[in-house]
Amino acid sequence: MTVGVVFLLLTSSVNAQQVSLSISPPILELVIKPGKSIMVAYRVGNLGDPTILTTKILPFEPKDNLGNIRIKKEFDGPVRFGLDNADLQLEQPFFLKTGDSQQLLLRIRLPEGAPEGDYYYTLLAETVPPKSSEGIGSAQARVDIGSNILITVTESGSVEVKPKIALFSTLGGLILDRDLKIYDSFDKIPLTLIVENKGKNMIKPEGEITLKGNFGEEIKYDIIPKNILSMSQRLVEATPSAQFEKPVSLTLSGFFVGLYRLSTKLTFGENSPTVFASTSFLALPFKLIVGLIVVIIITTFVIRKFSTQEDED
Amino acid sequence: MNLRFARFLVVALLFLGMTGGAVSAVDMESSRFRIDSANVNSAAGNKSSTNYKLSDTIGQLAAGEFSSTGYVVKAGFQYLHSIIPFRFSISDINVALGTLTPNVPVTASTVLTVYFGAAGQYLVTAIEESPFKTQSGNAIPDTSCNGGGDTCSESLAKVWDSVSAYGFGYGMSGDDIPADFIDATYFRPFPDRTAAESPATVMTSINVGKNRISTLTFKVNISPIQPAGSYQTIINFVATPSF
Repeated sequence: MTVGVVFLLLTSSVNAQQVSLSISPPILELVIKPGKSIMVAYRVGNLGDPTILTTKILPFEPKDNLGNIRIKKEFDGPVRFGLDNADLQLEQPFFLKTGDSQQLLLRIRLPEGAPEGDYYYTLLAETVPPKSSEGIGSAQARVDIGSNILITVTESGSVEVKPKIALFSTLGGLILDRDLKIYDSFDKIPLTLIVENKGKNMIKPEGEITLKGNFGEEIKYDIIPKNILSMSQRLVEATPSAQFEKPVSLTLSGFFVGLYRLSTKLTFGENSPTVFASTSFLALPFKLIVGLIVVIIITTFVIRKFSTQEDED
Repeated sequence: MNLRFARFLVVALLFLGMTGGAVSAVDMESSRFRIDSANVNSAAGNKSSTNYKLSDTIGQLAAGEFSSTGYVVKAGFQYLHSIIPFRFSISDINVALGTLTPNVPVTASTVLTVYFGAAGQYLVTAIEESPFKTQSGNAIPDTSCNGGGDTCSESLAKVWDSVSAYGFGYGMSGDDIPADFIDATYFRPFPDRTAAESPATVMTSINVGKNRISTLTFKVNISPIQPAGSYQTIINFVATPSF
């Protein structure tokens, strides 16, 4: 008996406890009138070990111009949230076994007289951290998974669409003029398009980036329509979306020679005015020219050497 | 004769190099995205400058639907074909660092995985709820890495390989991690919620595919004067999709 207890104490190894959560939908966009309410069904799934979860709602703001968010510590704003589930409220713990999921019937209510404007929140499902292991150093994890809620409050249904192209430019290269840069023909040319929303409601750009060459060739790249929150900027990407050392809208690759013009035309829904911007770049085969000069010098040297030998013979 | 031919060849090559420039190898196709037009009716004025044009407008979102119900709702990302759940996993949420011995660094890892269908943006942040401490309040300080030129911070990883550099921190490897985690010797301290610090981004991407995986390695090294005890901390990981 004693030996058995000692054995159990000696073999009390801690098994890895996995958390794997899913949430759907990953984003919700709502335009709503003050005095109205709506119920939205969310589903939180558990694909890891059994766990206890709680749900909460916190406001967020844009963290940068890349679409990342900063969740605020305290709730604010006029929007009222609650769960319509019969047996569950926000911030009330619930148990989810492996492979199980919980439907959350989220009620979003705007009181009468709520100020018009945009309000941004994140619905968070949060795990309870495991109990710590006594006698050893250990770090426990509390895991939150979120889904963003973008709410536009408007009495009439009117929203403010006030965009501005803050930056449309290629990166790197040799600057010749404010709107003209020089690249080597073999260089990959990164392009950045940043759109600023100066209005009080979020906007979603649609449109394209066009590349026109000096021989009349033309290529169009579709803009990926992502939300730009009120009074913020966002890097707008085009397809094929780009991977570069730092985030860019588009990476042009190929063999370019001559003068090229890049332009973009963005709209923000049917009948909305268009914003546009343009820039140019010049591409020349510098590396090829240098290579050829080296080849010419070597060839000339070799030919002269052989010619001298022939003359001597 | 040979000399003439050689000169001709060189000139021809140079000419081809200068003028052979048609645009090529630019892939325009993508089946991953679909652009749906929003229903916005608007009227406004425009302001323009040399290259940029600014527009002010007042739009009406889905006017008919809004006037009858008082709301318009959309779930999921408009440019994706379906509503894809956002998923986040941590392989171990109870990471044991074992018995700590002075001047003997200890490491232990956990794997973070983000699954977000074929496209979409996401962010994973981390913050310690409190310093790495005992219940009686003895704390292992957050690491400064090797110090001097290798002094790290909550937003900048530096080399931490000296056994006489004490503290608690973490390193990262894998997909979508901050670029300052150059190799396995680079570490940062966690931001501390009790010090009102902001969470640190540990994974992010504006172009994410399925199963983006990174490994977070906890590291602790204690000094000979560190009081004995059971040291614990809670790290809060928050994973959110973009908007």
